[in-house]
Amino acid sequence: MGRFWAIFFSLAAVVTVGFTAIGAEYWWFPGDGHAHTTLGKKIDDLFYLILIIVAVTYIGTHIVLGYVLWRGAEIRKDEKVWFSHGSHALEVIWTIVPSGILLFIALYQMDVWRNYRVKAYFPKKTAAVAEVTARQFEWRIRYPARGKTLQPRPQPDDIYTVNDIRVPAGQPVSISLRSDDVQHAIFVPELRVKQDAVPGLVIPVWFEVTETGTYDMVCAELCGWGHYKMKARVIATSEEDFEAWKINAAKEQFYDGVPATPDAVAAKADEK
Amino acid sequence: MLRCKMTLPSWSSLLWGACLVVLTVGCSQNPEAQFAWRDTTLDLLPKAREGVQGAIHDAFGTPHDLVAWDKLPVDFGGVQGAVQPAAEGETLSATQFHVKWDGPSAGIGAGSELLWMTGALAKSKHPTAMVVKYDDATKTIELKTKGDAPAAGDRVSVGYGQQLQLGRAVYMKNCNHCHGVAGDGHGPTAQYLNPRPRDYRLGLFKFTSTLSSEKAAREDLERIITNGIPGTYMPSFLLLGNNDGGKEKAAVVEYIRWLAMRGEMEKRLVDELSGDYSQTSLDAEAVKSKKSYEEAKVEYDKARKAGNKEAEKPEPAKSASQLKKTAGEELKKYLDEEFAGTINDTSEFIADAWKRADDPASRIVPTVARVADDAASRERGRLLYMSDKAKCYTCHGAKGRGNGAAIEDFWKKPGSNETYAKRGLHDTWGNPLSPRDLTRGQYRGGRRPIDVFSRVYAGIKGTPMPAFGGTVLKDSDIWDIVNFVMSLPFEESVPSAKPASAPHMAATESVGQ
Ligand code: HEC
Ligand code: HEC
Ligand SMILES: [Cu+2]
Repeated sequence: MGRFWAIFFSLAAVVTVGFTAIGAEYWWFPGDGHAHTTLGKKIDDLFYLILIIVAVTYIGTHIVLGYVLWRGAEIRKDEKVWFSHGSHALEVIWTIVPSGILLFIALYQMDVWRNYRVKAYFPKKTAAVAEVTARQFEWRIRYPARGKTLQPRPQPDDIYTVNDIRVPAGQPVSISLRSDDVQHAIFVPELRVKQDAVPGLVIPVWFEVTETGTYDMVCAELCGWGHYKMKARVIATSEEDFEAWKINAAKEQFYDGVPATPDAVAAKADEK
Repeated sequence: MLRCKMTLPSWSSLLWGACLVVLTVGCSQNPEAQFAWRDTTLDLLPKAREGVQGAIHDAFGTPHDLVAWDKLPVDFGGVQGAVQPAAEGETLSATQFHVKWDGPSAGIGAGSELLWMTGALAKSKHPTAMVVKYDDATKTIELKTKGDAPAAGDRVSVGYGQQLQLGRAVYMKNCNHCHGVAGDGHGPTAQYLNPRPRDYRLGLFKFTSTLSSEKAAREDLERIITNGIPGTYMPSFLLLGNNDGGKEKAAVVEYIRWLAMRGEMEKRLVDELSGDYSQTSLDAEAVKSKKSYEEAKVEYDKARKAGNKEAEKPEPAKSASQLKKTAGEELKKYLDEEFAGTINDTSEFIADAWKRADDPASRIVPTVARVADDAASRERGRLLYMSDKAKCYTCHGAKGRGNGAAIEDFWKKPGSNETYAKRGLHDTWGNPLSPRDLTRGQYRGGRRPIDVFSRVYAGIKGTPMPAFGGTVLKDSDIWDIVNFVMSLPFEESVPSAKPASAPHMAATESVGQ
């Protein structure tokens, strides 16, 4: 019977690791599995580092567990057993080793954390592209006019979109995150961007998208019954396309109905 | 209609899938969706109610069994075409032939319904058939039918009604919980919202690009659905049917137009009948009859006491059942002789109005481009805003903060002598409504200059905000006002030029409407 448990626990380790490995093939990070921002790649590196540490610890623990159970089952009647309980040396070791690991992680990630959250450590040329205001249950976005910088208060020539964040790829950009009502959180999984929007605060979030494309965005803070509806997208384009989009968006937004669309012109002509 | 459907991303989530299935088995037991009737419909005498409900049911069906009535200007979907002649030396088969389509045909597939529009089959016992296979490359269609072979050139329609069905699916998933199954604005979440979700059943939409007498164009509805209505709970559905080329959005636009037509048809038919054939009208009549009898009786008693032997004994008051009987007889005559005509006229009236809305001639097109947005134009705009011609300040306030004198008054309900219980303005649906605070820079109907121009030109339909275009203000005046209004959010403080003796509006006078 004792051997059964030894085999059971060893197998449990093999099965869980195996499942994880196979599952990762199908069900891993969204999109192509890679981060699409510079900082996201560093965050992924941290994630994988921690994953490796945890995997090694997990597998090691199970090997030891299996060994102990196996040995325990083999003990003869006359054999003397060794009680580790109360061993001072062991306790010190398994306090110091994990603390060391945790301390290492805490210090090692500091750089990324600071770079992500502390404004003084944002990349030097970060351009503020838009103000993103979360509200129940959509995202309203305000951009400065072409060639201007984002102002804290709305300007007459600002450009507006809804559920649609446009940014140029290949350069650090930041958005000013606000909330109109309750707490929300912006979450763009493929860009590894996640940040709470807190009523009364304007929180800058920077990122540098590495590949142009369209990325899904959702709300990650349960904000009310329509929380699940807060779907949006981030469209990262080349600098030129971004400028071209802005020119077009401004034209559309300041459209005064003249000249009217072709069919309206035709109708006016008919009237005469 | 609401079926339970789950797609599992991969086998590794099967475990989760299993748990979810257990949790969601209840979801197939949703109560069956139904189009709710108006209170006034339910108040009709039974025969009148059956008449209205029957007419609406015939023309529109139920949420589970939609009727695509070709009289309505709704794009029900599907494609039409003509049967191609058979190859040399062959005869046309009843079950397989080629069709030349008028439009894109890629949407046809197994299960689509085919309808013969011309030729012998259209008049035969088998005017419809089911598509079993379709190949869009060769335009070959295979049918399951008991009918004969068609002749070359016969016209067919395939998938008629498909767009309405798609619209229903999109609507039930995204809009129903606010706007309600019948589009009555009574979805389960509606009670928490202010302003209330739109009740489509008056056929009335606020933010349109059409003249003040016209309904909403398809384009207006689509714009609202895409952009949402900022400052209200109407969310943006920008990503609805993402990457389907606008199919779902177009379908839901048709569906809400269809719901609006259904609602308006019901309302107009009921309004036709409720004056004479509703419980409320009978009750009122009984009360009136009793009162006039009592008055006459007093007179009579007085006359008798005075010794007048000739005084005529008043006729006894009509009982409720007597009144009901007379009304029932009149109603029967009306239903037999005139109601079919009323249904026909009403549907034609509604169909025409919706058809006109998409006509370019109904669209607001400024005769002049936006007047240069400079200090002089804004000043002209401000003077107009404060003038007695436009009277904007009476509602929106001298500083545009939405606090004009109108919000202090008690207003009369349209078409009656009663006033609303609450102070301030109300919309046509009877909900309290504040004039917009123009300093906040929030434009529910859109912030393009043409949007604000249209709001002032045609008013905001279904609200007390009146139309100024064409009659009261010239297009260039409206542009000056637009320039002034759109500058308000950016003014530190608007120099108030409120005339010292601003005429206070009398409570009984309604502006514009
Ligand atoms: C969260 C609730 C909610 C949902 C969900 C919702 N709406 Fe609305 N809708 C509203 C409210 C509230 C208004 C009224 C706003 C106002 O009066 O200014 C409105 C107004 C409208 C209008 C009227 C616009 C006008 O010009 O008068 C249309 C059309 C509309 N909604 C369509 C839709 C469609 C289509 C969907 C689904 C795809 C939908 N709505 C989903 C709340 C909702
Ligand atoms: C009888 C009162 C009344 C008068 C007079 C009036 N308005 Fe309004 N106005 C309203 C109401 C009520 C609303 C809000 C409608 C709604 O949200 O459904 C409104 C809304 C607006 C809006 C917001 C449109 C949007 O898209 O959100 C603008 C701009 C506006 N009015 C401008 C004007 C101007 C300019 C004038 C004068 C030429 C004027 N109004 C006269 C009652 C009035
Ligand atoms: Cu949210």
